[in-house]
Amino acid sequence: MLRASAVCEKAGVPSSTLVCEGFLRQAAAASVGLGMPNIPVARVPGHTNVQTKEELRRNILDVTVNHVIENLTRVPAAATRQDEPSARDIVYEGGFDAVNQFFYENEWSDGLPIVPPTRQKIEAFLRCTGRAADESLGILLPDSRAASIWSIAVNGVMAGCRPEYMPLLVALVEAMADPHYGIEHSGNTPGGETLIILNGPIIKELGFNYTQGVMRDGFLPNTSIGRFWRLYLRNVAGFVLHKNDKATYGNTWRVVVAENEEVLTQIGWQSLGVDMGHAAGQNTVTIARYTGGNVIVSVSGGVREQILPYIADAVVRQISWQLMFAVGQGMGKLRPLVLLTPILAETIAKAGLSKADLKQYLFEHARLPASQFERILRDWTLKPTWDLAAEARLGKIPGIYHESDDPDRMVPLVWKPDDYMIAVTGDPLRNNAYVFAHNGLRGYPVSKPVRLPKDWDRRLAVLRAST
Amino acid sequence: MAVRGFQTSETDNDGHYEVFWPRSQRQSKIRPLARRLDTLAGKKIAFLWDFLFRGDEVFAVLEEELKARFPGTSFVNWREFGNTHGTDERKVVAALPERFQELGVDAAISGMGC
Repeated sequence: MLRASAVCEKAGVPSSTLVCEGFLRQAAAASVGLGMPNIPVARVPGHTNVQTKEELRRNILDVTVNHVIENLTRVPAAATRQDEPSARDIVYEGGFDAVNQFFYENEWSDGLPIVPPTRQKIEAFLRCTGRAADESLGILLPDSRAASIWSIAVNGVMAGCRPEYMPLLVALVEAMADPHYGIEHSGNTPGGETLIILNGPIIKELGFNYTQGVMRDGFLPNTSIGRFWRLYLRNVAGFVLHKNDKATYGNTWRVVVAENEEVLTQIGWQSLGVDMGHAAGQNTVTIARYTGGNVIVSVSGGVREQILPYIADAVVRQISWQLMFAVGQGMGKLRPLVLLTPILAETIAKAGLSKADLKQYLFEHARLPASQFERILRDWTLKPTWDLAAEARLGKIPGIYHESDDPDRMVPLVWKPDDYMIAVTGDPLRNNAYVFAHNGLRGYPVSKPVRLPKDWDRRLAVLRAST
Repeated sequence: MAVRGFQTSETDNDGHYEVFWPRSQRQSKIRPLARRLDTLAGKKIAFLWDFLFRGDEVFAVLEEELKARFPGTSFVNWREFGNTHGTDERKVVAALPERFQELGVDAAISGMGC
C-alpha cells in the first residue's frame, strides 16, 4: 500500500494510505526506506476483519475519514533523515561483552552473542570471493540499502560463519535480491521463514549435515549460514521486529538443508538444483519462504496403496489459507515442498516412479472439494473477490478449477505438477517425510549458482592450514 | 568516530575489538511529497486496493462520506487499477502515473495496510 502511495506522490498525486492501528509503526519504518518519511497515513481503528459491519462503518466515519481529508489537504511536516555511519566506519571499540551489548542496543544482533566484525576477520571473508568489496548485488527493500559484498562479509563474521562460506553467502544474497523472490514482503504477518536448500559437491567439501537431524542446529555450516540469512535481513534489508518485521508469531531462522546427492544418484532422480534449472553437479542455493510445516511420521506400506496416498493427504492438511497463492493474491504461485528421507525416496523409486511421476501423483491426488477451497478463502479469511467459476471463465486460472458446477468436484492445490518441489534429505533409514506450506509470491522459490573463485582449492587449503 | 567501550575489569580476558557497521548505505534519497489539494470538492479521487481486509467495504463508506462533505467529488473504483499487492504488483503500481493521467485523477487513497 505504501509502495503504491509512494508512486502516487512521485507522480504528483497526493495520497492517503489506510493503515490499521497495529501497523502504524511498520508504516513509519517502511516510509523511511521509500525516501518519504513524512508520507501521510490514515488510521483505521483495530482490525477490520474482526469488526461487524456497523463497527467498521463507525470506525471509518469517526476516525479514518478525517485522517484521509487531512492527509490529502494539509502539508505534512518536512522530512528529515538521521545521520548514519559510513560502510567502512569503525562504530565501536571495546571488549567482547561490550561490543555485544553495543550491537544489541543498536538492534544489530539477534540477541545471541555475535562474533565481533573486525577488519582482520572481514578481510578473510573477502579473500574467499572474487567480487570487489564495494560491489552491490542490488538494493534491498524495505530499507533500500545496498547489498554490498562488504556487508555480506560483516554479517557473515557476526553470524559465526567461516570465511570459506563466503561464496555461499554471496549466492544467497543474490537470491535475496532477485525480484522474483519478493524480499519486500518478508515482514508480512504470517511470519514465514526462509528455507535454504543446498546442492552440489560443496555440501561435502564444507561439511554440511545432509542426513539425520538435517533441520536441527548442531553443524557449523548449516547453522551459521541459516543465522547469517536472518542477520542480513535485519541489518541490510531492515526487517527488525516491532518495525518492518510484522510477523504475528514468527519463528527462529531455519538451518540450511542440504540434499543427499549420493542417494539421488543411486535412484536416478535429479536434484532440486537441477529441477531449478542448473546443471548437474553445480553448487546451488535455492531459497523459498514457508509459513510452517509438519513431519509426516512412519510413511509405510505399499507405494501406491499406502505411501503415496499418505503423502498426498499430508500435503492437503498442511495447506489452508495459503490457497490464496494458487488462486487470488498470487495466481499459480503456490509451491509446496516435500522432503523425503532417502529410504522413502528409494522405496518410491523402486516402485518405478520418477520424481516427475511423484509430482504428477500429488497434482492429481492432493485435492480439495471446490466448495471447501472457496470456503477457506471467501468465507473464512474474508477475501470476498474470489470465485473459482468466475476466475476460470475469465481465463485467469486453469480450466481444471471449473470442469463442472459440482461443488464437490476435486480441484488441485497448485496449477501444475511442477509446482511441487521435492528434496531428498534427512535420516537415511527412517521412513518419515516433511511437508512445508509455502508463502507464495511473498517468498517465491529462487535458485542461484554458487560461484567459487578461480583458485578456490588453493584459497581453501590456505584457510585450512591457518586454523 | 567510534564509540569507545570500557574494560569491565582488569582481569577480564575480554579482548579488544574495533568493529565495523553491519548495515550499508541507504540508496533512497529523501523525496518531496506531492502538493496537497486546497479542497476535495470537485476533485477526482482514485481508490487503490490490495484486495484484502475488507477494503471494498471501507472504500464504499469513504466514498459515501466524502461525497456528502465535498460536493462534486468523484471517485475511480479500485477495479480500474487491479490488485496493488498481487502477482502483478510491480506492473500495476508502475502503471499508476499513466492511468492517473488518462483518468484525470487528483488524489489517491490506498489500502489496506492491515
